[in-house]
Amino acid sequence: MGWEEKQVRGYSEFVRTAQSYHGRPIFALFCGDKDAEGRSWCPDCVTAEPVVRKELHNMPDGSVFIYCLVGDRAYWKDPNNEFRKNLKLTGVPTLLKYGTPQKLVEEECYKAELVRMLFTED
Amino acid sequence: QEAAKYEKKVLVLDFVKPTPLGNSWGLGGTCVNVGCIPKKLMHQAALLGQALQDARKFGWQFTEEVNHNWMTMTESVQNYIGSLNWGYRVALREKSVTYENAYGEFVGPHTVKTTNKRGVEKLYTAERFLIATGERPRYLGIPGDKEYCISSDDLFSLPYCPGKTLVVGASYVALECAGFLAGLGLDVTVMVRSILLRGFDQDIANKIGEYMEEHGVKFIREFVPIKVEQIEEGTPGILKVTAKSAKGNKIMEGEYNTVLLAIGRDSCTRNIGLDKVGVKINEKTGKVPVNDEEQTNVPYIYAIGDILQDKLELTPVAIQAGRLLVRRLYAGATSKCDYVNVPTTVFTPLEYGACGYSEEAAVEKFGEENIEVYHSHFWPLEWTVPSRDNNKCYAKIICNIQDNERVIGFHVLSPNAGEVTQGFAAAMKCGMTKEQLDNTIGIHPVCAEV
Repeated sequence: MGWEEKQVRGYSEFVRTAQSYHGRPIFALFCGDKDAEGRSWCPDCVTAEPVVRKELHNMPDGSVFIYCLVGDRAYWKDPNNEFRKNLKLTGVPTLLKYGTPQKLVEEECYKAELVRMLFTED
Repeated sequence: QEAAKYEKKVLVLDFVKPTPLGNSWGLGGTCVNVGCIPKKLMHQAALLGQALQDARKFGWQFTEEVNHNWMTMTESVQNYIGSLNWGYRVALREKSVTYENAYGEFVGPHTVKTTNKRGVEKLYTAERFLIATGERPRYLGIPGDKEYCISSDDLFSLPYCPGKTLVVGASYVALECAGFLAGLGLDVTVMVRSILLRGFDQDIANKIGEYMEEHGVKFIREFVPIKVEQIEEGTPGILKVTAKSAKGNKIMEGEYNTVLLAIGRDSCTRNIGLDKVGVKINEKTGKVPVNDEEQTNVPYIYAIGDILQDKLELTPVAIQAGRLLVRRLYAGATSKCDYVNVPTTVFTPLEYGACGYSEEAAVEKFGEENIEVYHSHFWPLEWTVPSRDNNKCYAKIICNIQDNERVIGFHVLSPNAGEVTQGFAAAMKCGMTKEQLDNTIGIHPVCAEV
């Protein structure tokens, strides 16, 4: 069956999408917005994205990968933004397994072995 | 992780044999999963319940009755533990330590066989081995114990509120659990065969028991369960416990929703093939004797933690022993683990912090005429306004007269005893005498100034 990807932008779209896939393993990668040339303002996100994408095939069958753009730099820096408040995100990039305490933050996201471990961990 | 720092190739085998009720957990050992961490969190939950009651006397106004939801607490605690398990996985991975969730056992010199939960076997060889398999709760060996009773292994992730509970045992595990369960509003009874907190200062142990009794925990003294039957199934169901007097033939019966066994822990050293490599263990207790460098009788096999004979069963002790051992082996260090004056705390509703000798042990070692005991009851300022007990908190120090009145035992029964004791433990390590203690001006108003 493989896996599928959903691209979303902003907190409400993320929550709606995650809820619609309730019951399936959901992995989410949160990155800073990309400009017209497709480059994110967050340098770690730029490094992490290809590494994470390369490991996606390790996700269990039926998984959903949600690629979520959180917003621009100013929004992210606001300590009260919804991602920080509700999802308890502390930095971007963050790669997490939705509904569990398993997550990788910042430079952990571009270590292939850790990403693989997150995708394959029981 | 310490060994990996020195560029050693390290393999960690961690496997949890499910409890009789099918419970298991992640990486991190007893402390993280079914010990100190969830225990302290639940103890805190109970303390907060008490604080809510006190709050009204300090002027907070809320009219609704305050109730406790077991599932909410348990989910939060388990979530936190899950993040710790994950954190360890990441940390090991980052330091290139190989981790296998598999049961390890020796099959020959320098060789272990691992079996994972799917039954897949692998063989590994290594230059050195470190055994840190810890312990698991002991069962009574009576009809119905494994089928119907739970242990601390099950309590912290119990998917339903335990309800009216009988705690069997008088260890710190038994009293801490009984304490927080009662603090959460449950009907709790503790069945004790003889004394409370064996090995701890008995004067304090009795004060702890008294305090718990005055605060709603029932005690059945000098009885031992002989049979547990299920009257009604459910989550929780109803169990009938039959008990016999430890001193005669009197029989008694009682009905409870849950029976929690906390009568001791047994080392996991019997089924890991130690006989195949010649490691001697104490046949009676299962513990492993080691020299002061944590080495077993087989030179390339070491052991740390709760399985060691005659050593304190505490997480920080095991961690320290492990780190120092690795530094001695691979970094040329020489320091050995110092097992003297290790501070500990029992998180009963009224906490007990201790470091050094109990009064009995001091008398035995030095003679009654050579020790001096200074003690005091006190009333924490925070307890005055809500009119809580004014004569329960207690502190005592035991001094060796022949050695400049050096403080050799420190005991305190009070809120936050753990926090209080840590500093005094450091002072005792430096050889603090009574005079130095007297010369230290107190912080006011805190319990520790006593």
